[in-house]
Amino acid sequence: MKLSKIIDKCRLEKIVFCTDCEVENGYCGDLMSDVMAHAEAECIWITIQAHKNSIAVALIKDIKSIVFTNNVMVENEVIKKAEEEKINLLRTNKDSFTVCGEIYCMMEAETAKD
Amino acid sequence: MSANYSKEKLTLVSELIYEIKVKEAMSKKVIFFKENTTFREIQLKLKEKKISGVPILDNVKNIIGIVTIDDIITAFDKGYVDKKITDYMSRDVITIPQNISVVSAIHKLERFRVGRLPVTESSDSKRIVGVITLSDILNRLLIVVQSIAEKVIDKEIKNTQISHDLMKSIAEKPLRFEVKGDDFNNAGRVASITKKYFQNLGVSKDIIRRIAIVCYEAEMNICLHSLGGSMTIQVRDNNAVIYAHDKGPGIPDVELALKPGFTTASEKIRALGFGAGMGLPNIKHYADKLEIKSSLQTGTELKAIINLGVKK
Repeated sequence: MKLSKIIDKCRLEKIVFCTDCEVENGYCGDLMSDVMAHAEAECIWITIQAHKNSIAVALIKDIKSIVFTNNVMVENEVIKKAEEEKINLLRTNKDSFTVCGEIYCMMEAETAKD
Repeated sequence: MSANYSKEKLTLVSELIYEIKVKEAMSKKVIFFKENTTFREIQLKLKEKKISGVPILDNVKNIIGIVTIDDIITAFDKGYVDKKITDYMSRDVITIPQNISVVSAIHKLERFRVGRLPVTESSDSKRIVGVITLSDILNRLLIVVQSIAEKVIDKEIKNTQISHDLMKSIAEKPLRFEVKGDDFNNAGRVASITKKYFQNLGVSKDIIRRIAIVCYEAEMNICLHSLGGSMTIQVRDNNAVIYAHDKGPGIPDVELALKPGFTTASEKIRALGFGAGMGLPNIKHYADKLEIKSSLQTGTELKAIINLGVKK
């Protein structure tokens, strides 16, 4: 599924949008070690951790898109780093549970179509 | 798709269609009828089996004719659909012998614009041993291409074992990093650079992923829990060897520190999503071998080994 479709349907705010990549799976987690160990490459990562280390983890794990939930503050230097590393940053005022549910349902519907 | 690309692909396929024999690709189960059948009976069978024609055989399975959907439509049109096929069927049947390559079958299917060819035992025999269609040929081609692809993949896996010479030259040039304590701004730098380093060597993705996780956790440990230290990443005997050394204060109980969930991290660190007590357990899980020496006087030395050739 295209990232733009998720952004559209879940009404995510685009903080950094550099590539409309294909998204096939996702991971939700706020613990860096957990995400390091379990997130799959190219997934969409849902988290409340909006700091520079999140970008570092995304970079190492080949995560192309991060969704920050609960409308967390995103510092300018985080945005700058994401732009440099071509990582999409999105934000929403919904909580992680709700956003995961929405994206999960969309992905299920997509697989059902195939 | 470039012209070159399609040409290349066609070379393999055209080689294969010369190699594959009709008998390897054909369906051996032949639906056939005898002469004393009506067009309507055949029509029902064609509909049921979703096929477009059947050969008509005699008692010893020699072919004497063929009835296709076209013939049945004509029979409906001219009003003899309930009559026996004997007087109406085409007796001029195009067949193909089983020991010829499928390229001849493809030519015949194209030239006579038919969907199926009855297959005879040999070129001077009329006995039917099978039927061949384009989709039978495609099926067989796919199976052969698949087995070729599998062999290529096997070969590639072997190739990811880096050559001896390259290994030697790399072993002389290890990566070295200073890691400061409490320096969150540079966290992840060691893992990032190390990842690129192994990508350039052509190491497989799965192994790079494990190296990156081990480096990241070791780096974060120095950054979060120590007064600072250094890391060295080296290739030795088909292994990635990751050393992390810090200046202290040391781990009082290494066994306990290796337990998932055990942490000494402060509230501030945990709020950032670190210090979940998963760092060392992650390293242990993703490394093939792990050694930790720690003393409260000299600090901690960690050595993790990941084999570059064999998948875990």
